[in-house]
Amino acid sequence: MSVSDQKLTDFYRIMVRIRTFENAVRKLTKEGKIPTRFGLYTGQEAVAAGVSAHLKKMDQIGSTHRAIGHLIAKGCSLERLMAELMGKVTGFNRGKAGPFHIFDPSVGAIGANGIVGGSVPVTVGYALANQLKANKAVAVSYFGEGGSNQGGVQESLNLAACWQLPVVFICENSSPEVQRMLGHEIDYPQLSIDNVSTRAKSYDMPGSTHKGFDVIEVYKAAGRAIRRARAGKGPTLLEFKVHQLEGNLEGKVEANEKEKQWCPIELLRPKIPKKIDDQIRAEEATAVKNAIDFSIKSPEPSLEEAYKCVFTEAD
Amino acid sequence: MREITFGQALNEAHTVEMERDSRIIVFGENVSSNWREATKGLKDRFGRERVRDAPITETAFIGAGIGAAIAGFKPVVELMLVDFGLVAMDQILNQFAKTTYMSGGAVSVSMTLRVITGAGTSSGATHSESLHGLFAHMPGLKVVVPSNPYDAKGLLISSIRDPNPKVFMEHRLLYPVKGQVPKEPYEVPFGVANLVREGSDVTVVANSLMVQEAMKAADELKGSVSIEVIDPRTLVPLDEEAIVDSVKKTGRLVVVDEDYLNYGFSGEVVALVAEKALRSLVAHPIRVATPNIPLPFNSRLEKELLPSKEKIVSAVKKVIS
Repeated sequence: MSVSDQKLTDFYRIMVRIRTFENAVRKLTKEGKIPTRFGLYTGQEAVAAGVSAHLKKMDQIGSTHRAIGHLIAKGCSLERLMAELMGKVTGFNRGKAGPFHIFDPSVGAIGANGIVGGSVPVTVGYALANQLKANKAVAVSYFGEGGSNQGGVQESLNLAACWQLPVVFICENSSPEVQRMLGHEIDYPQLSIDNVSTRAKSYDMPGSTHKGFDVIEVYKAAGRAIRRARAGKGPTLLEFKVHQLEGNLEGKVEANEKEKQWCPIELLRPKIPKKIDDQIRAEEATAVKNAIDFSIKSPEPSLEEAYKCVFTEAD
Repeated sequence: MREITFGQALNEAHTVEMERDSRIIVFGENVSSNWREATKGLKDRFGRERVRDAPITETAFIGAGIGAAIAGFKPVVELMLVDFGLVAMDQILNQFAKTTYMSGGAVSVSMTLRVITGAGTSSGATHSESLHGLFAHMPGLKVVVPSNPYDAKGLLISSIRDPNPKVFMEHRLLYPVKGQVPKEPYEVPFGVANLVREGSDVTVVANSLMVQEAMKAADELKGSVSIEVIDPRTLVPLDEEAIVDSVKKTGRLVVVDEDYLNYGFSGEVVALVAEKALRSLVAHPIRVATPNIPLPFNSRLEKELLPSKEKIVSAVKKVIS
């Protein structure tokens, strides 16, 4: 399967959008306009871009606490996303979600999750709903290599296999070289195996490991798994090896020299004509600036908002 | 009116609601089995797509219920015993309870988590608990505790129709209890207590199986003490007014709860009365609840710890003296 130039440009645009948005988030966090520091997606953009290229609006994603890339690639509004990160009432969730719990059902982004592995069982439930509706929609469940160890994730792989649900499990393994977690140095390994995808065998589902910084490879692997799920043939476990770039840890906005080999944007750039590259960067910078302006101008929630939405009112 | 058991009443509620609304799906451990009274026959009637046995993985299947609810279904998920829910606390207390609020109302989770509860069968410390206080403590969960067949049917129907996360708690010893239950569907509203017996001397607030024990105590003391028995039926929302008004009338309060004594329902009711009707009290309130001790296997030891008619009678005598 060859990938068209248009597709490559689309991937590039999404990855630049995520990177530009997250660089703005870093700056706004330093300035105190976003009140908390949280996990970013820098270096992983190819995964969300390559996967979401196969997804329709009705397809759902369940995400992690490193969700911005997943949300943007699924088509979330940058304005409302940024407003949520600033805790504004115009955010997707009225300023109550913050980075860890964003839900945007209008594009099937339901949702980010503050608990490692916590969204995986819920996302299997989206797949169950799709199966019952027989609407050919697919659910995509993102988690990390740390999350892959959680009991709930293993239970969910089993349940999805037992019920042959239309779900694709996507493990973004960001410990390909060094066993580490963001902000921690850990002494003992988190995984007893090199490839998380080998666990697919235990549940009799297809599993494979791929370079997660190569958007074309992601796109091809995700396409096979998503088509399989859509055809009612059951779940797949895909693993994408990614490198969280140092910027993530040190607050630098771009990959350093060593890291350029793993930067999905740098890797794709030679395939993008300079003029289009410049245009995309300029357009995405404007879009992000608009999102920031919108969010800064947006009001804080009223104090009464603190008491609302504990329960849903009956119709 | 005809009489049916608590278990049959639950089965009828499932059946009428599943007939009415194709979004209602049922899954859990052994829900297709004929020895599970509440769900018996549902698979044959509604098919194995809508009624599914799940692997024994509470985290996965409760989470799947939450997801299906967010995606527009109205799952009724059964936990065989409430104690088993403790392996799935993230899904219940984080994902199930908090998602509506965290999402700012962008999504709702209309799922009923049916759980079987209760001691008194020599089942030991991990097969005997009540734990309604645990769920009622967390924001975002409605907690339903029927005490008789009529309420079981009406509350389960209300529960299935309510667009929120509900924990619906069924004491196992109530399953064979018979009572009058209308054939047609009906709702018992949340947050409306049942005045089980009117009285003037002592207010006894009890839930679930303990309502039956409170009634036995009221019968035994008939003629000497006039006991008012109040069954809140739902702990969240709680009919505070019914409890406060009753204590204003009687001036005395005994709370009966099979859940653990400390930090639980019994303390909540006493605190409510202290805040809203303290001056009406003519005696210290008494709580009859299970002390904070894991339930032992030996039936004599178990009985020693559990609330009972005898303990309620002695508590009532004490508040009267």
